[in-house]
Amino acid sequence: MRPPSEITCGSPGRIQRSERPNQRRFTVEHPINGALLTLAPLLVALASAPAAVFAGWIRTRFAAPVGAAFALLAAVTTLVVYLRGGGEVNVAWAPTWDLRLHFALDGLAALYALLATGVGFLVLAYSSRYLPLHLEHGGRDPSEGNRFYGFMLLFMGSMVGLAMAQDLILIFVFWDLTAVASYYLIGYDRHDANSRASALMALLVTGVTAVLLLIGALMFYAAYRTYSVPELAGLVRPGPLLNTAGLLIAIAALAKSAQVPLHFWLPRAMAAPTPVSAYLHSAAMVAAGVLLLGRVYPLLQESELLLNVLLGVGLLSMAVGGVLALTRDVLKQLLAYSTISQYGYVVFLYGLGGKYGAVGASFYVIAHALAKSALFLTAGAVSQATGEDRLSRMGGLRKPLPVLAAASGAAAAGLAALPLTIGFFKDELFFEAALQRGPVFAGLAVAGAALTIAYAWRFWSGIFLGTPRDGAHGVPAALVWPVAVLGILVLVGGVFVEPFAVLARSAGAAYYPGPVESVKPAYHLDLRPENLMALATFGLGALLVVSRRAWVGAAWGAARIGEKVGPEKLYEVGIIELNRFSDRVHSYEVRDLRSRIASILLPAGVLVGLAILATPNVDVYRVGSVAWQDAPLLLALVAVAVSAIAATFTRRHVTLALVLSSAGYVLAAVYAFFGAPDVALVAVLIETVVTLLFLATLKLVPYKILHRQARLPLQRRGRKIATSAIAGAGAFAVAWGTLSQPAAERSVSQDLVELTPEAHAKDVVTATLADFRGLDTLGEITVVALVLLGVATLLRKGRLR
Amino acid sequence: MSPRTKGKGASSFGIGTTSVLTETVARVLLLPTVVAAVAILVKGYAQPGDGFAAGVVASLGVMLQHLALGRREAERLAVVRHAPILAGAGLVLSLLVATVPLLLGDPVLTHYPRPGGHVIYLGTLELITPVLFDVGIFLLVFGSVVGTMNAFARTISEEQEYAGPGDSGLEYEE
Amino acid sequence: MILAVSIVIAVIFGSGAFLILQRDLLRLIVGILLISNASILFVMASGLSRGKAPIYPLDGASVSDPLVQAMALTALVIGSSTAALLLALVYRLYVSHRSIDIEDLSTAEMEAADALERVNVTEFDRGFRDEPVQEEQADERELEKEEPR
Repeated sequence: MRPPSEITCGSPGRIQRSERPNQRRFTVEHPINGALLTLAPLLVALASAPAAVFAGWIRTRFAAPVGAAFALLAAVTTLVVYLRGGGEVNVAWAPTWDLRLHFALDGLAALYALLATGVGFLVLAYSSRYLPLHLEHGGRDPSEGNRFYGFMLLFMGSMVGLAMAQDLILIFVFWDLTAVASYYLIGYDRHDANSRASALMALLVTGVTAVLLLIGALMFYAAYRTYSVPELAGLVRPGPLLNTAGLLIAIAALAKSAQVPLHFWLPRAMAAPTPVSAYLHSAAMVAAGVLLLGRVYPLLQESELLLNVLLGVGLLSMAVGGVLALTRDVLKQLLAYSTISQYGYVVFLYGLGGKYGAVGASFYVIAHALAKSALFLTAGAVSQATGEDRLSRMGGLRKPLPVLAAASGAAAAGLAALPLTIGFFKDELFFEAALQRGPVFAGLAVAGAALTIAYAWRFWSGIFLGTPRDGAHGVPAALVWPVAVLGILVLVGGVFVEPFAVLARSAGAAYYPGPVESVKPAYHLDLRPENLMALATFGLGALLVVSRRAWVGAAWGAARIGEKVGPEKLYEVGIIELNRFSDRVHSYEVRDLRSRIASILLPAGVLVGLAILATPNVDVYRVGSVAWQDAPLLLALVAVAVSAIAATFTRRHVTLALVLSSAGYVLAAVYAFFGAPDVALVAVLIETVVTLLFLATLKLVPYKILHRQARLPLQRRGRKIATSAIAGAGAFAVAWGTLSQPAAERSVSQDLVELTPEAHAKDVVTATLADFRGLDTLGEITVVALVLLGVATLLRKGRLR
Repeated sequence: MSPRTKGKGASSFGIGTTSVLTETVARVLLLPTVVAAVAILVKGYAQPGDGFAAGVVASLGVMLQHLALGRREAERLAVVRHAPILAGAGLVLSLLVATVPLLLGDPVLTHYPRPGGHVIYLGTLELITPVLFDVGIFLLVFGSVVGTMNAFARTISEEQEYAGPGDSGLEYEE
Repeated sequence: MILAVSIVIAVIFGSGAFLILQRDLLRLIVGILLISNASILFVMASGLSRGKAPIYPLDGASVSDPLVQAMALTALVIGSSTAALLLALVYRLYVSHRSIDIEDLSTAEMEAADALERVNVTEFDRGFRDEPVQEEQADERELEKEEPR
């Protein structure tokens, strides 16, 4: 048996294997302290949401600074713990179900935790100025901001948890937490039906596919008896099980990363306020998908099929996202499709595999998150400045907003992978990985990267170049400096790439089995293939930019077709049909009491009937023997049957009550003959109480109404008699069949009888109720207490709601 | 003067008036019913009966007060007025008996003394925790049944104040 | 004996089913009580042994099955509690609808459902229905229509 709580510390296995001389092994004397230190990033991140909400509850304007401070603290904690060598905590949670709280701060976790907290900090700082404007614009109370910060930080906390979780069930829990938080964030403008529908769509797409993740996890557990990803990595073998379960998990990840064909929720989710888009749809929610792919990569890479699926989906998303991004007019829509295409690159890199693919995917996520969140924040800032959100109504903003233009220019250059930005290296790794796979993939990579250049240019030039328009004004500094910080980071990464590369390498080492130390992005001033590919990309991108008139019609056509027959249409039709189906079932099943009863009884009756017919029934039924001393029992039984039949003929309610109670009393006598004095006693008492309550109810309902009921003609009498006859026949078949079964040799009852002296009792039945089956009794008395509550409520004066 | 008119008038359930004889008998019977109930309760481990039966017996005693003397008379008894509290107390007591063993490291509803343990006798009454459990059930059932009856009785008297006498299902003829 | 008990169970169950099919709510309750009686009798009859009451001191004679007795007791209590709740429910229905006839109640229920549908039609064509505010208003209207007194 596993000890109830064991805490292990130290670096996770994968990191241990890769040699990293610049990092110390993290050892501590007290395991508890070590665990706390390892968990510190998660604990700080999880504490931030309550802290911000509490601060906002005291003073509305406190929420943003407190939230931002917590995000910064979480980022710093993550960095410190990571630089100290990370660590691992593995505590039993529900040992009988093999659930464990298994967290580790390895390279992969550190990367995504840093992104979530670092970008989170900048976005929260930006929101502190943006959100009041947004709320003011909508004529809403500033205190509604609390909800915003609460869910943003909840999202951040669950993202950090997701990054650190090593156990599939734990991953699922945090996965769903991010989905819930994102639902509230996307639907933040809840007065807006479009916003609500978008939030629901995001929740349905990511939430339904999350179930696939759970199913995949359970399939792995059924085969290998563990949920732990590192343990599974050593156990899985290629085969149909890995293919199926891995595919299910991959689908969940791909849906979260908005990959074709489950990409349609992301453009719709742009209904969210801009900071939400900047955070969720660049650094966090969509990144969660590729994070999961990275986490389970040791499993996925065992299967050639899964890698090919990733390859295909990545390529498709690159193409669809890139082409559609060139057709969108709304700023955030453009960015959304660009995100789809950019995460397509990452998925493609995973699919390519190899050390360049592994490290490249992680590096790509860093570079993209920095650039893309800057561009999203730019979109929000210029929308504030002009009051417009469309590319075609903007232009010339470099004059009023020079700093923003420069910063977002750097970010756009980073996205387009120009030299001197961090983006150049992301494409360098990307090209290397593609080259290793073959010339076809290299060509596809060049084409994809050229698309990126085209839409990055389109975004930036459309906003900041061209003729200035009227009405543009400056924006508060808080809307500019987060963009500037991100832009500077993009440029710094273009010169000093090593810190980012170290992070990406250690993330890659966390899931790539081979050595990754040789992956070093750098400038090489020679004519190596990567450089040639980059040059080709720049040329092709420039060509795309200048020849826009030539292809824009075709791109529009493709977008139209996608709208008409694409997966979004399928989703809408599916939702409407589901709604209609539910309504039909509702109106059939729930409309009135009788059909409700029928919809339960009929299937039950049919099933029982089939079971009886299917069971071999020769010599099964026994008539049983009747002894002379059973005569009183038989008489009593006859009396019960007669009263039951009499009840069906009785018209007046009082008589009915008395007939019912007489049946009950005679039944009590039957129980007494059965040798059950306890039951007989209670039956008599119960019958008395029920009869009195019945009479009391008769007293409550006026005579006129009762009289009307008593005088009702029997409608469809034949049908009712037939139905009840069938019901009786069914009961008879079941009862006779069951009672005919021969008694078991030794039963629980004998144990009960023998145990009773042990329980210091003499009456076996009472001992059973109070001791052996006490939990039943506990449930029973709870029902009694609830009935008292119900009766008191129902009989209260006034109307019930 | 006939005994009918001498009675205190309407009983709780509005079933006409009652005679002095009934009233007296009802008053006199209350205490014996309770004694009988307690007997059923504490002897439950040796003879038929348990907390449930005891609770119903005791509440039938109260029911008799309702029927014979009317709601106002019956509600003069404190236990009748506070029946829901009794029910709650009973539920809490039973839950305590069930859960306290958890604190001692035993499974839910472990009873003491354990099998083979020494039992303290009080007369013939054994002091074991199942008895406490049964007392909880007794209180709960008594409180619930009396509370339910009170609710019905109160509603009936309100209904009568509203509609006037004679408009009830119990008095119609064919 | 087995046959006799089975027949009686069947008769009680059939009578209960017949009463459940009636329009009168009070008859419906009586039907439910009869069916619960039938099932308790069934549980009791399925005891594996029949004999003396299972109370010590036992003198070696066969005792009645105590397990089914405990189960029957629980069933009895829960059945009667449910009956009390149902009776209170009937009274409440009478207060709100002035009727204890299932047909009347069904009619009222359908009217309420139709009212709801009319309100929701505007949201419906979007394919989403997540606005609780309007449903509450519909309930409000419904309640005002059937003000107790």
